[in-house]
Amino acid sequence: MGSGRLRLPWLLLASYVFYGWWNPFYLGLIFYSTLLDYWIVAWMDQCHQGDWPENRSGGWRAFLFLHLKNRGLNQALWCGRLLLIGATCGLSLGPSSLRALATLMCLLGFTMIWAATRQDRRSWLWASMLNNLSLLFYFKYADFFIENANFLMDRLGLGYQWPPAASWMPLGMEYMLPVGISFYTFQSMSYTLDFYRGQLGREHSFLRFATYVSFFPQLVAGPIERASSLLPQLARPKKLQAKAFAEGSSIFLVGLFKKLALANYLSFYVERVYEMPETQAAPALAMATVAFAWQIYFDFSGYTDMARGIARIMGYELMLNFNHPYLATSLGDFWARWHISLSTWFRDYVYIPLGGNRKGPILGATYLLITFLASAIWHGAAWTFVIWGLMHAVGTLFNRLLERQKWFQEKVPTMLRRILVFGFVCLAWIFFRAESVADAWLILSKLVQGNWQDPQIPWLMVALILAVWSYQWVQQSPWRAWTQTGPFKVCAVIIMLLWLCFFSSSGGAFIYFQF
Amino acid sequence: MEGTRCTQGLVLSGRQWILVIMSLCLTMWMIPIGWQGLETFDPEESYRIPYAASRDYWLYERYVNQPHDEPRVYFVGDSVVWGEYVSKEGTWTHWLNDHSQGEPRFVNLALNGLYPLALEGLLEHYAKELHHAQVLLHCNLLWMSSPQADLSDPKEQVFNHPMLVPQWEPQLPSYHATIETRLSRLVGNHWSWLAWIRHLQIHYWDQKDPYQWTLMDDGRYPPTYPNHRSFPWQAIDWQLEQEPSPDPDRGLESPRHKPWSELGEGTQRYDWVPLSQSLQWAAFQRICQRMVERDNALMVIIGPFNQHMLHPDHRPTFKAYEQEIIQWFRDQGIAHLAPPTLPSHQYGDASHPLQPGYRMLAQQLWEAPDFQQWIKPLKR
Repeated sequence: MGSGRLRLPWLLLASYVFYGWWNPFYLGLIFYSTLLDYWIVAWMDQCHQGDWPENRSGGWRAFLFLHLKNRGLNQALWCGRLLLIGATCGLSLGPSSLRALATLMCLLGFTMIWAATRQDRRSWLWASMLNNLSLLFYFKYADFFIENANFLMDRLGLGYQWPPAASWMPLGMEYMLPVGISFYTFQSMSYTLDFYRGQLGREHSFLRFATYVSFFPQLVAGPIERASSLLPQLARPKKLQAKAFAEGSSIFLVGLFKKLALANYLSFYVERVYEMPETQAAPALAMATVAFAWQIYFDFSGYTDMARGIARIMGYELMLNFNHPYLATSLGDFWARWHISLSTWFRDYVYIPLGGNRKGPILGATYLLITFLASAIWHGAAWTFVIWGLMHAVGTLFNRLLERQKWFQEKVPTMLRRILVFGFVCLAWIFFRAESVADAWLILSKLVQGNWQDPQIPWLMVALILAVWSYQWVQQSPWRAWTQTGPFKVCAVIIMLLWLCFFSSSGGAFIYFQF
Repeated sequence: MEGTRCTQGLVLSGRQWILVIMSLCLTMWMIPIGWQGLETFDPEESYRIPYAASRDYWLYERYVNQPHDEPRVYFVGDSVVWGEYVSKEGTWTHWLNDHSQGEPRFVNLALNGLYPLALEGLLEHYAKELHHAQVLLHCNLLWMSSPQADLSDPKEQVFNHPMLVPQWEPQLPSYHATIETRLSRLVGNHWSWLAWIRHLQIHYWDQKDPYQWTLMDDGRYPPTYPNHRSFPWQAIDWQLEQEPSPDPDRGLESPRHKPWSELGEGTQRYDWVPLSQSLQWAAFQRICQRMVERDNALMVIIGPFNQHMLHPDHRPTFKAYEQEIIQWFRDQGIAHLAPPTLPSHQYGDASHPLQPGYRMLAQQLWEAPDFQQWIKPLKR
């Protein structure tokens, strides 16, 4: 099965069972998203390379009577028409609980007819973006948007309040954030965008494309793989190899250790302090913030290590997602090491298309701000995330200015830069972790006041953080070769396994599952 | 290549993995054995597994495996044998030892809160060395007195020793654990390393894992965290947890050590589960058969149930129920004794005698001709 014809169906089935286990209803969502992007790229492939071809047609007559010579696009046109008719019937005759879904289908039908009649790639790209981002918006941001809009309308005395997003769910289904929606939506979008930009050929096999979108090791928390990297791997026959198994198991074990032995332990202290920040003094808040910085790193990078390990065992290479981020010497360097698959996604599909740093310092800074804001909002619908993103944007710009100064380049040692970057990142994490902006301000003000009180952080926790930080530091030093010797690695793995037996503790789900 | 693909650099080759697995197996096998040499365990005559260590099956196994010269009779059962209201100097086995003067020695192999479905697992996984031994097995009818006690009620229950019950077959309607929990319990029973880790947690880290121990609060408000400056290995003093002496919950001085009722007449009605449907009784039957297969010299002690607590109208039902059980032992040719009900004031509740009750029970047992016949091979 490993290298045979059943490999892909098995992988897809495993991925869908894995995802559907959590909530079978949301399996439909990922399937819908996959199918639509697959078709849209297929229809995009039928269009002329250039935008706005001469034979484009428009107007109401086109909606009703147009027949396109291109068979594929004609199919798209009819799909759009059928969707529109069906959705209109549903809207007028169906139960009220189906209204929101029918409206969405109406819009999709219109978009499809519009894109098919225009016969240009950009229209299909818009259709895909609109569809993907609408779903993401509805499930992830609708409540936040409605809440803020209602607050604003109330303040303006407009006397109207929007109903909560949950009331739009069809047939009384439960409204909840589908696990990993941000990850698989971005992964699917990268395929459409790369195809549109001519950087990737069309994937003809639906099975392969569906496996790419839902590839179970990285489905719910990344890394966000590019189609150009994973699709060719899925196309090649695979053989289960002992070497890949050994390597994959090593990567998986490190991930497991990060999650069970480190992240979960730190989470207990962080929760204790952040649960009631008003009762805590500055040292505890500072220690909890540092602990959270490491917790989120161990938690998220632990998951991606496990994902990469499982994929490697099966013969697939997933991209590196973390590269010792707390050894970064600048904020730019930090973002080149932290959640690399997301950072590069925003760089390639937002920052550079906007203009990057090619259009002068002011516009460059604006684009950077937009990119960081988008990245922050990707993490969640809350003002705390927005502030976190803004802090990083401003911090990165300031850091760039500093790096251009000669005195900074020559006189500030690397270690001090690392400490400064880590300090700033921790400061920003306060907003990321706090329950509300008010809580974050409270923590900041308490940190400034600096009342001394024993933080009561377990010394074992501090020792573990220091040990990992030292190990990472050695990894980037000339002594790395010493840690690459066989006896060291074997001893380290035995200690990790024994440590897991003694110390692994249950500490809840992965943090990034919520994104 | 490793630098980009795996930044932490801990990538092992196949051969290194084999070395790791072999070293790990050796370590996991050696450490618990070596531990027995370091941690002193010299149980005295009246020893019983302390209440706080009721889940320490590794210690139980160690107790079973204790080397000995004198002939022994192992008394296996639940808190009735263990001695719920009495100190270890007031238990059934203590008084039996008083009669026998150590020839043979009666060993209290009971655990608090043990019921037949759990006892089955305990004997299967942690008392393998008990084969060929002389075993007194206590049969407590209370476990069949209601669907809840029998674990056959479909409503979920929290009960003692969930690790020892059958995880899948036979299915227990009251047991609603997840697949992961069942699987981890199954593995935990087959892997003595995990039982040893639990032993450490119970004795040195306040029944917690070492991480939780470092985070433990003192229960006050605002809380303080007494262990945050200690590393878990600092708590290991090689001293096994002992029963508190005096124990505020047990013994003649304890407020709990008192008759169940001053009046001595009860109104209790039990919803006895028919024996053909009882999960606990089926488990008890399997235990007996297993012991016979293991060449154990087995004698079953039935009760004594506190019949004074029953409503007078309900006593015939109980008698019939007890007779049905006795008949099964008779049919199977298993040695058994059903001591007469004790005076009402010698019971602390439905099944647990008080200290004078145990003394009387031991005397009745010791004087029973069938019992004397049964222990005859052990007398020098």
